[in-house]
Amino acid sequence: MAYEPQYGPGTSKVAQVRRNQMNPNVKLETLRNITDEDIVLILGHHAPGAAYGSAHPPLAEQGEPNCPIRKLVAPTEGAKAGDRVRYIQFADSMMNAPCQPYQRTYLEMYRFRGIDPGTLSGRQIVECRERDLEKYARQLLESELFDPATVGIRGATVHGHSLRLAENGMMFDAVQRCILDKDGVVKYVKDQVGVPLDRKVAVGKPMDSAWLKKNTPMFHSLVGTAFRSDKEYVAYVQRVHALRTKYGFMPIEE
Amino acid sequence: MTEETYPQVRITPARYLDPETTEHLLEKIYEVDGIHRLILNGPNLPATVPYGPAKGLQNENSYRRTIKVCGEDYELHVHVGDILIELESKAVIPKIRKACDGIFADKFPYGFAEGKFMRSNFTLSDYAKYGVVDDERILGMSDPKSKQRPIIIQGTK
Repeated sequence: MAYEPQYGPGTSKVAQVRRNQMNPNVKLETLRNITDEDIVLILGHHAPGAAYGSAHPPLAEQGEPNCPIRKLVAPTEGAKAGDRVRYIQFADSMMNAPCQPYQRTYLEMYRFRGIDPGTLSGRQIVECRERDLEKYARQLLESELFDPATVGIRGATVHGHSLRLAENGMMFDAVQRCILDKDGVVKYVKDQVGVPLDRKVAVGKPMDSAWLKKNTPMFHSLVGTAFRSDKEYVAYVQRVHALRTKYGFMPIEE
Repeated sequence: MTEETYPQVRITPARYLDPETTEHLLEKIYEVDGIHRLILNGPNLPATVPYGPAKGLQNENSYRRTIKVCGEDYELHVHVGDILIELESKAVIPKIRKACDGIFADKFPYGFAEGKFMRSNFTLSDYAKYGVVDDERILGMSDPKSKQRPIIIQGTK
């Protein structure tokens, strides 16, 4: 019988959302459309329409050494063209954001190729070749992994994930990269590092709290699903903890 | 040292307050007699972008603006999350609660706690900033490293 990964333990809705996000066979729902130009503007790595910067000549031109690994692994589009490595970084509010840093890294490792994610408590960065990045950024922004109000695209000055929301439901951002406009649509007025944009970039309407509660991969005893309500998850974490503690001595399960 | 007998309260709304709501709340609180000191706490909203490639650029932020507090202009540099108030007596507490109820009733819940929330001892930074002062009510009123000083509002008595 073929091996089927389980992705994670748990019987709660949160656990199921985590598994769905990680499983590359589950198609993520597209909730909004953002144009190529808008994504380039928010990322701020190059001007819309400008050529991609390169770190080395295209692989076809520079000639590859006779290496068995290179024959096994097909290069991504960005690597093939010799693109520079660039990044996108997210901050996810603890108020039921539809993704969170560790989860982002897990799901990106399952779904994307040629990436280098960096995970921190309040933010998650993913680095890759520039044209790959734009492709992945589109998936991250247009799908159910993004909520304009509780997820921020923040290259620097990321503080806000653990704070209360503003009155209009937006996550705190000292640089206020995005605003909730009068038409109810969240618009970026600065790129991800805080450089003002020439025009507002719309990223859609904030999702309502019921949707967020249903689609968050985060346990939260006050605004969402309590971790202790998922007995299987608690047992799994306790088992990992016990085995890690016993390692080197007697890692035997009783 | 600040009189320890003065009761202190902390108002913690469930959301960070807009400058307009802060203005309304302060107007309501100002109508109550018997307030010694009041501090607006919250995360800082810098005037310029503090980190990254855009460091030093002007930081346009709609939450950072001048509000009117009882006729006085006050430069709001924080996104208000907590309001700390020192009162003359416990008798004032119900009036403060009533003022808060009026503002938050149709918005979101708020926490209301009695306790000790303001500093009563000088720190080294306080000495460096203010030196030895007679009126110790200045303690904890603003970040000693900040250039912004507290404002004094004439009471209604």
